[in-house]
Amino acid sequence: MKFSVPIFDIKNLSFIVKGQTILSNISLEIFRSEYIAIIGPNGGGKTTLIRMLLGLEKPTGGEVKIYGKKLSNFKEWHKIGYVPQRASHVDASFPATVLDIVKMGRTSQRAIFSTFSELDKQFVHDAMVKMDIVDLKDKMIGTLSGGQRQRVMIARALASKPEILILDEPNTGVDVASQKNFYALLRELNQQEGITIVFITHDIGVIADDIARLFTINQKAIICNNPKQTLSCQEMSELYGIDAHLLHVHKHEH
Amino acid sequence: MFEIFEYDFMQRAFVAGIIIAVLASVSGTFIVLRRYSMISETLAHSALVGVAVGLVAGFNPLWMAVVFAVISAWLIEYLRSAFTLYSDAVLAILLSGSLAIAVIIVSLGGAFNNSLFSYLFGSILSVSSEDVVTIAIFGTLSLGALLLFSKEFYFIAYDEEVAKTSGIKVNLLNFLLVSVVAVIIALSIRVVGSLLIGALMIIPTIAALQFRVGFFKTVIISLIFALLSVVAGMTLSFYFSLPSGATIVLCVLFIFIISLIANRR
Repeated sequence: MKFSVPIFDIKNLSFIVKGQTILSNISLEIFRSEYIAIIGPNGGGKTTLIRMLLGLEKPTGGEVKIYGKKLSNFKEWHKIGYVPQRASHVDASFPATVLDIVKMGRTSQRAIFSTFSELDKQFVHDAMVKMDIVDLKDKMIGTLSGGQRQRVMIARALASKPEILILDEPNTGVDVASQKNFYALLRELNQQEGITIVFITHDIGVIADDIARLFTINQKAIICNNPKQTLSCQEMSELYGIDAHLLHVHKHEH
Repeated sequence: MFEIFEYDFMQRAFVAGIIIAVLASVSGTFIVLRRYSMISETLAHSALVGVAVGLVAGFNPLWMAVVFAVISAWLIEYLRSAFTLYSDAVLAILLSGSLAIAVIIVSLGGAFNNSLFSYLFGSILSVSSEDVVTIAIFGTLSLGALLLFSKEFYFIAYDEEVAKTSGIKVNLLNFLLVSVVAVIIALSIRVVGSLLIGALMIIPTIAALQFRVGFFKTVIISLIFALLSVVAGMTLSFYFSLPSGATIVLCVLFIFIISLIANRR
């Protein structure tokens, strides 16, 4: 079901740096409880788009609204959980246990003089249970595998009780088995918790069946409201800038 | 054995030194984790400009050091955020510039004497009662600010952009952190000296990081190392007539080497 006010309302967004067009005239809306994938080649502007949505970059044209408000007037940032591209590449010597990292997710909602409340503890615990990292809570972050770190980063984002989770290439440096579990987890968060998922990747092979809408971006955006329909060869060629041919693979059940 | 405490100047030096050890190690943890270790060196040289102005113009050098270090800290943050300059390049430019200005001022004012030397390398003999009061007041305020925003500073040190997207006022807090560090450095140069304060700020944290423990334990270990170095350094300085700053830094270096060897992989 789509609510009248989208979480993100992006109109005619452009980003031009030193005469080079990174993004041109992008318009799209993201509604509550959607599961969206943004795909496109490296350097196509996916991360730039996300950085503009989060206020980390200023667009050179157009406008972004969050929950109907301009970015500069928006205060409820805890509603947005962000897992950046480099999340699994943590500094091995940084003095942080898994619990230290997940607790960071509560920082912006705590008053200056407040101690860590029972509610804060509950939210942190719930996030760790969801990500299945309770047993790792006293481990140093630098000692974990890529897949474990990825779960810690998502737990930190979930600890703020977000309504939307934005993940930028979260599978970089993560093994295949962990990736499979990861997609199951995203599906669960979307379907059971109602969390809006915006998932960015350059790898078209990872697009799962349960994604509701697909945005393909290479400077310009193509919105595909039914991703189960395969992108056409022409669309693929436009997106990735190379000749694309569809290869049908028959799946056998064993 | 405790004759060291019979002297008023040593009592003052110990009080000032212990306050500085606490301030330097706690603030140093955030600076090191932000990969901003060199800022302490730059601010120490900027504080020296304040000392030079104070000595030449007849103002309290400690107060002037605080003012100039804070202005320099703001300038660093402004240059870092407003221009596409490398952070370490900004620090190097301001470090050299500050030292050049300080030398010119004292040279023109004819104040290149023992007073300046004591600010460069630290001197426990030179800590006055007025200095102890100034260090205690500003030190308490600085420590309060660090503890009040410690969870935010920690998050920013871990990931500045994610901290920003979670609603933390990162730019404001960056200005606050460098301002507090500037004040602490300016306060410290009486005892440790402007050329050596960077070591007391950075090395205890680097030594503590070798133990690979969580944030809170790292701060505590760093604090213990800084206190040990200051107390041992000042005691050795008293008995062997050595410059206090250099002796303290050698003690902290010794602790660092032991930590490194003890935690070898």
